[in-house]
Parts: sequence; structure tokens; C-alpha cells
Amino acid sequence: MQTATAIIGQYYPVQSVIHRLDPRIKLLGSIVLMIIILCAHSYPMLGVEALCLLGITLCARIPLRALLSSIAPLSFIIIITALLNIFFVQGGTIYLALGPIIVSQDGISAALFLCCRLLLLLISGSMLTLTTTTLDISDACETLLNPLKRFGFPSHECAMIMGIALRFLPQFIEESRIIKDARTSRGAESPTQGGIKAITSRLIPLFTSAFRHADTLALAMDARCYHGGEGRTHLSPLKLATRDYISLGCMAAITAGSFLIGLIG
Amino acid sequence: MDTRPALHFDDVSFTYDGTTFVLDGITFSINKGSTVGILGGNGSGKSTFAKLCNALLVPDQGCVTVFGRHTEDTTATYDIRSDAGMVFQNPDDQLIASLIENDVAFGPENLGVPTNQLRERVTEALASVGLQGFERTETAALSGGQKQRVAIAGVLAMQPKILILDEASAMLDPQGRRDLLDICRDLHQQGMTIIMITHFMEETLDFDQDIVLDKGSIALSGTPQDVLTQIDRLHELNLEPPFACKLSDALQQRGVPVHLHSTDAGLITDLKKLYTDSAQDALATSANPSMSKEELQ
Repeated sequence: MQTATAIIGQYYPVQSVIHRLDPRIKLLGSIVLMIIILCAHSYPMLGVEALCLLGITLCARIPLRALLSSIAPLSFIIIITALLNIFFVQGGTIYLALGPIIVSQDGISAALFLCCRLLLLLISGSMLTLTTTTLDISDACETLLNPLKRFGFPSHECAMIMGIALRFLPQFIEESRIIKDARTSRGAESPTQGGIKAITSRLIPLFTSAFRHADTLALAMDARCYHGGEGRTHLSPLKLATRDYISLGCMAAITAGSFLIGLIG
Repeated sequence: MDTRPALHFDDVSFTYDGTTFVLDGITFSINKGSTVGILGGNGSGKSTFAKLCNALLVPDQGCVTVFGRHTEDTTATYDIRSDAGMVFQNPDDQLIASLIENDVAFGPENLGVPTNQLRERVTEALASVGLQGFERTETAALSGGQKQRVAIAGVLAMQPKILILDEASAMLDPQGRRDLLDICRDLHQQGMTIIMITHFMEETLDFDQDIVLDKGSIALSGTPQDVLTQIDRLHELNLEPPFACKLSDALQQRGVPVHLHSTDAGLITDLKKLYTDSAQDALATSANPSMSKEELQ
């Protein structure tokens, strides 16, 4: 039942050491990696993170095709950011000047660097959802947010909302495709031709459908006796194993190494 | 031994807007271990009926009891919901987790079933719907029929005594519908009370009782043979009688001496008998044209 492709938010079920890691470690690891990537100001620092992500991908036994297809729907963010940098960052040698449009050396450098940074950010986010089920992610969130409970923060509810959002993400992407096809088959303009109006007319039916799904899902959860986190048990309770402590050590080493390279660079 | 009815509706009325009654003064009982089909056209009140059984809604007038427990009693809500498990129409909207085992375990986890019993319940529930070995499979990778079976397993893991299927077969292909009916038959043989809400009258042919709703009231009630053979009345209620009913009715109207049947098997037996009789007649007539049929016998 397993395919070589995946869409963002979709779990990729294989047996691997990364899949077996405690979801709290994976969630923390993802957050730490993202912070390091956001703080990176040089290619060597990004290179360390890229190597690290390559290692994680290999250990997780995620095929390259599945990884790329999981981030493909968000590639427009990279393209838009790159274009903005090319046209708005100026300095150094000017390669092209057509009226107000100026493409300079600094613009291209900034665009390239940001592209690399965004790509690594998307991969690290995607790696979490590819290797961790949505319920595990929400359990991990709940455990990590539990200290805030004493201040009245609804940690269980927030984690459940996030888990369900991730569970329905592939379904909404699929429904968005169906709405697009339905519109195209009736001669509607594509978003690139119709602009904001075309995007809105795709989003409104998607929102309507989302509310309908939410309504039925809430009923189905009620029917299965859901009443919040109070008294709830777990099929696989979270428990840290030796491999999790080793991962924590690796994470600390990578963080230290990255910042050391940043300081030297 | 528990002699209380599995489900009892006592003069139940329900309205969403305070003026129009979706269900209006319904009274009936469903016995433990029986199979009941709830039929009706769109807007007849079928889904409201299902939600009232499961304490998702409580009646505005009258009372609903599940094994003697009133659905208005908020202290009994979770006991009622675990006793009367409910499967909805769209399998995609009722699967909460991305992995099958997590989804099946969702209900018992909410009931606080100890962790050491959860795995056993998941395995048993998946075996009941023929999905053993699928524990670590992703729900998104399943067909519509398989997803609906996972939804049923999710309810079975709560160990209910009543299974309510609210148009659960409506979005399935013919094979998916057959599988679903087979599962219902198996569960009924194990003693479970089955309530199937459906548009497809063929699905309730071997049930104990059929109830047809119309504009919130009971229009017809009785055995499938009694209910499904009332062809004109069913047409008035915007329902499509089973094929065997329509064919036997058409044959009767053309003078063919067959009984009105709700099942294909009954009609086939009648037609086979008719064919054998006429073949014997033809044989007798050709052997001795001067003798009557009575004389030959």
C-alpha cells in the first residue's frame, strides 16, 4: 500500500531508526534544525545542515522522490522569494537593466542563498511529518506544552487541533486539485491567468468543504467518546529509549558544530 | 439475563429550529440481537434518528433509552456511546489518525482502557473486519471500502452491543457494499444488534425488521417481506423496491401466477416451479393428447 511519492503532511510508513525515535525528540530536533538554518549566514553553515538532513533522510529510508514530492506543493514560496530578491536586492555588477528592472550580482547571490535556506527549512519540516504519524506529533506537542497547563494553557486541545490539521492536509490538497479540475473543465481561468479572483473562487469552495468535514469529524469524535485529554490512555505511551538519548547527543553536537563553523566563518 | 430492549423510542419528537419537527412522536423498540433496517427518502429523519440513538442529540419530547439508560442523563452519555457505536457515511470524515492502529485505538483510548489491553482490542477489531496485519498501514492508502471497514473496527474496539450504520454503504462500490453486509452478518451471528440506515432496500432483505420513515413519522413497519412488497406505497415514499419485488409485481400484472417476493431466491423458486409444471404439462400433452392433466397424474 506504500507509494514512492508523498504529499506534504503525509506519513511515509517504513521501518527505520528515525521512524522509531520518540516523537518528542523528532519534534525538538526539527525545531532546533530550523532555528540553526534560520540563523545560518554562510554557505558552510548551510552545508553542515544539508549534510545532516541527507544523513537523516538516508537513515529514515525515505526515497528522494517521496521527499521532493512532499515539498513540491510549497515550491512556489521558494520561487516567489527568489524573484523578489533578484529584483529588489541591488549591488555589485549589473547583469541586466530593462527600465526599472535591474538584475545585479548581489540580487542573484541573495536569491540563491535564500533558496537554499528555504529548501532546507521545507525538508526539515517535511522530514518530521514523513517519519512521524499525526497522532504521535500531537502527543509530542501535548507533552512538550504540558508545563504551560498550570497557567491554564489548553495543551491537549492545541495538540489535537494540530494533529487533525496535519491529518487532513493531504485530503485538502486533493480536494483543491478536484476543485481546480472542475473549474478548468467548465472553462474557468487558471490562477496564473485569473489572478486573485481565480484564487478566491478556488479557496471559497475549499473552505466550505473544510467546514463540512470539520462538522462531521467533530460528530465522529463525539460518537467515539472523545472528551479531551482527561483520563485518556495511549496505545503507544511515549517513553525515551537509548536511541533517543543518542539522538539528543547528536543534536547537541550538530548545534555546537554549526555555531562553531558560523563563528569561524 | 438482560431482558431490556436494546433501544426504545417513547413518543420521541425532535426539532432543529424549534418549529419544524424532523421526528414527530415516534414510538418503537428494538430487541437485543436483532437486525433492523431504517429506510426513508431524503429528509425523512433517518440521520436524526441515528444521532438520537447515540446521544449525539437528545429528544425535545419523549425519551430514548439504550439498554434502559436515558440519553438525557449526561452521566450515562459515554456508556451509551460505547454501547451504541456509530459509523457515518463518509469514511474520510471519521478517520482521526493517519495510521490504522492509532485510529482503531482512538475510541478505547478515550474510554480510558488500560494500555496493556489496547493492543489486544485493536488486533481483535481489525480481525473482525478482515484487516488483520494492516495495523501499521496508512489510512490514506486504503480504498473507500477498506476505510469504512477501519471505521467499523474503530467502533468495534469500543466493544459496543449495538452497531448503528448511518448510510455507511452510500459511498461504496458494489464489492465494498457486499463486504460491509458480510461483516454485519458476522457481527449479528456473534449477538450484536445491527441498525442499518440506508437508501438501498436490498441491503435489509434478510433483516428481522424494517422501519420506513416519512416526514419524521413511521410510515411502514414490519418484516422485510411485509414492508418491501408494498410497492405502490414505497413509490409514494420515494423509495425504490428491490428488483425481485418489481419483477414479481410485473409478472403478476401480466397474469403469471407468482407470489410477490422481496428476495431473488423466493422469486427464482416460484419461477422454477412454474417452469417445471409447464414442462410436465407440455410433455404429457405431447405423449397423450386426449388425456387431461389430472388423468395423467
